[in-house]
Amino acid sequence: MRPRACLRRHLALLAVVALGAAATLAGCASFSGAVPGCGDPLRLAIIAQSVPSASYLPCLGDLPQGWEASGFAPSRGGTSFLLDSDRSPGQPVRVELTATCWTGGASPTPAPAPGVLAYTRLDSVRPRFAGRLYHVFPGGCVTYTFDFATGSQIALTEQFESAVRLYPRQQLRLVLKQELGVELNP
Amino acid sequence: MTTVPTPRPEPVGPEVTPLIAASPRGRRRRPSGEPPPLPRRIDYSIRWYLALAGVCGALWAAMSVPAALGVITRADLVILRAVAAVRTDWLTRLMLDVNALQSLWTARLLAWGTIAVLLAFRRFRHLAAYLVVFLASALLVSAMVLEIGRMRPTGIVILGPWQGYAQPSRPVAMLALALVGVLYTLVPAGRWRNRGKWAAAIIVAAFCAARLYLAVDHPTDQLTAVIIGWPLAVVAFWLIVPNDVFPVSYRGGRKAHLDVGGRRGAAIVTALDHQLGLTVTGVEPFGLEASAGSTPLRIQVRGPDGQTTLFGKLYALNHLRSDRWYKLARTVIYGRLEDEKPFSTVRRLVEYEDHMLRLMRDAGLPTPRPYGFVEMTPEREYLIVMEFFEGSHEIRDTQVDDRVIDDALRVVRRMWDAGIAHRDIKPSNILVRDGHVLLIDVAFAAVHPTPWRQAVDLANMMLTLALSSTPEHVYERALGVFAADDVAEAFAACRSITVPSQSRSLIRTDGRDLIGRFRGLAPARRPIPIQLWDIQRVEITAALLVALVAAVALFGAYLSVAGLL
Repeated sequence: MRPRACLRRHLALLAVVALGAAATLAGCASFSGAVPGCGDPLRLAIIAQSVPSASYLPCLGDLPQGWEASGFAPSRGGTSFLLDSDRSPGQPVRVELTATCWTGGASPTPAPAPGVLAYTRLDSVRPRFAGRLYHVFPGGCVTYTFDFATGSQIALTEQFESAVRLYPRQQLRLVLKQELGVELNP
Repeated sequence: MTTVPTPRPEPVGPEVTPLIAASPRGRRRRPSGEPPPLPRRIDYSIRWYLALAGVCGALWAAMSVPAALGVITRADLVILRAVAAVRTDWLTRLMLDVNALQSLWTARLLAWGTIAVLLAFRRFRHLAAYLVVFLASALLVSAMVLEIGRMRPTGIVILGPWQGYAQPSRPVAMLALALVGVLYTLVPAGRWRNRGKWAAAIIVAAFCAARLYLAVDHPTDQLTAVIIGWPLAVVAFWLIVPNDVFPVSYRGGRKAHLDVGGRRGAAIVTALDHQLGLTVTGVEPFGLEASAGSTPLRIQVRGPDGQTTLFGKLYALNHLRSDRWYKLARTVIYGRLEDEKPFSTVRRLVEYEDHMLRLMRDAGLPTPRPYGFVEMTPEREYLIVMEFFEGSHEIRDTQVDDRVIDDALRVVRRMWDAGIAHRDIKPSNILVRDGHVLLIDVAFAAVHPTPWRQAVDLANMMLTLALSSTPEHVYERALGVFAADDVAEAFAACRSITVPSQSRSLIRTDGRDLIGRFRGLAPARRPIPIQLWDIQRVEITAALLVALVAAVALFGAYLSVAGLL
């Protein structure tokens, strides 16, 4: 084979392998880290658009060790994502932002932010600690659906509550105006 | 660019005349820098497509800078507001209907339909290309959607449903990709593909217009999506299954054959003129049905004594790949009795056949006289030229008398003496002219073959002769050229898989147990085992099995990742 053709062939092969690896890595990396962090407000805008009335938006703070976020799915009408803990394999916490939620039968719990009401409804205590936690605020509601093994529930509940924070829409509006020069509707 | 033609050399040697005719200018050396006869052409459209890919990359780079993203977003919104100015109730209903194309099922139906048709027509190379392009594009879209994380249009009421980040628009990319996949793997190039492109462009444009009207996407979201789904996909298909090598055709016949009209036809004439000094007056495909490893051609040449006919075989990358798979299969089936290695390049393949033609000619075998080969596209496409046996007929179409039988057996004897095996002795490779046997298609021939392979050559020749005669008569004539033990060895080595498929089919139609009869006539001898296992064969077979299992698992994962499930 001619040296030039050989070199070209090797380069082409290298390019294909690199492209494949990059695509795979990029895909894998992005799939697992897709949930916007509270420090990246430009990415939070899509959550705000999914529920235009919501005065708060759920975002990821610092994830405790052993936790992973995945399955970020914003769409018209709501946003959801999953929080997985290695201490509760196969039973992720589902976090969902909607315009409204039904809190009938739920008990009030301490609120995480001003203007936010919190409720908890337990469906089971033993052998599983399962139920829902609601953060209700003007124009929206964040629902956390959990199902942990009894015994580890206190630490796990504290951890996912501290991992998800509520970002004020008003603050996002200011950031978008300042950074991009656009208005966040409505 | 021109160069001074070299003086025409005199014919060398009594056996092989390098030139049978000469063009007025004679042979011509291609100066450095001048393109070969059939340069690998990059269409203008491909260049444009690559430029568009650059635009796409530039947009993505700009969007990573908030200030630039702001400028792009504001520009996008100007367009969207202008479009929104024409919103009416009936138009909104219409646009929502058009936007229904965003359903995942649209792309899935198109993709599965394409895969089903490709499987039905056994177009596996196009299928592989399709799967690779679809997966790569789907991954690229997914990765960029998450990497850029762009919001939907803001400051304007969004009328349609949406999911996920906006940049690039996944529904637009998937629809364009599915349509391009249909066009470049199922529709023959030319008029129908061009019409298909227009139809696909209209569908994609209508879809994009609907989504702009509904303010679901920014214009730049659609621009990058269309670039991924159309130009980038076309470039990928061009690289993996270039149309001039792997054309989409429904005309039947072998898919390995290349089109010898147009650019390639002109290049053949030029190459034969410049490199072999032949003045070509006509080139046409010949005997395509009997050839799968090359594109056979009949070449009309004008010489000092009038018109002459030559035979040519055009080899390209697809033939090289076929050869590799063929040899891999042979290694798995035959084991260490077949110790051949696949050719690394098309040049090596054609060099080998030219060498074998000359070697067999030197050995006094009745094979076509070689005239050399020409380079069409360096390392990719070559044309080997040889004598055309005018007035000859396939052995099945002639009277097989004692003279023909003796001559055929002597040909095998001569190959044995010269340490050569033809390895593809079958009726279509044995011609008869004036009672003399001629042997063609020496591409598979081997020097210093295994004794087993030489024995198989004899068995295949005797079977071919017996098809037009009787085993008893052929055996009797064979004893005049070979020892009885040689014949016994030949049929001890003979198995169904060592008989070429054409001969196998003819023997089945004939109905006589020719192999059994020959074994009965020859001295008893234990069958020579051919299923010999060695480490190499075990490794290759195990690797193939592992690759098969991995391919099935990967395909399952692929369907999930590419969104086809």
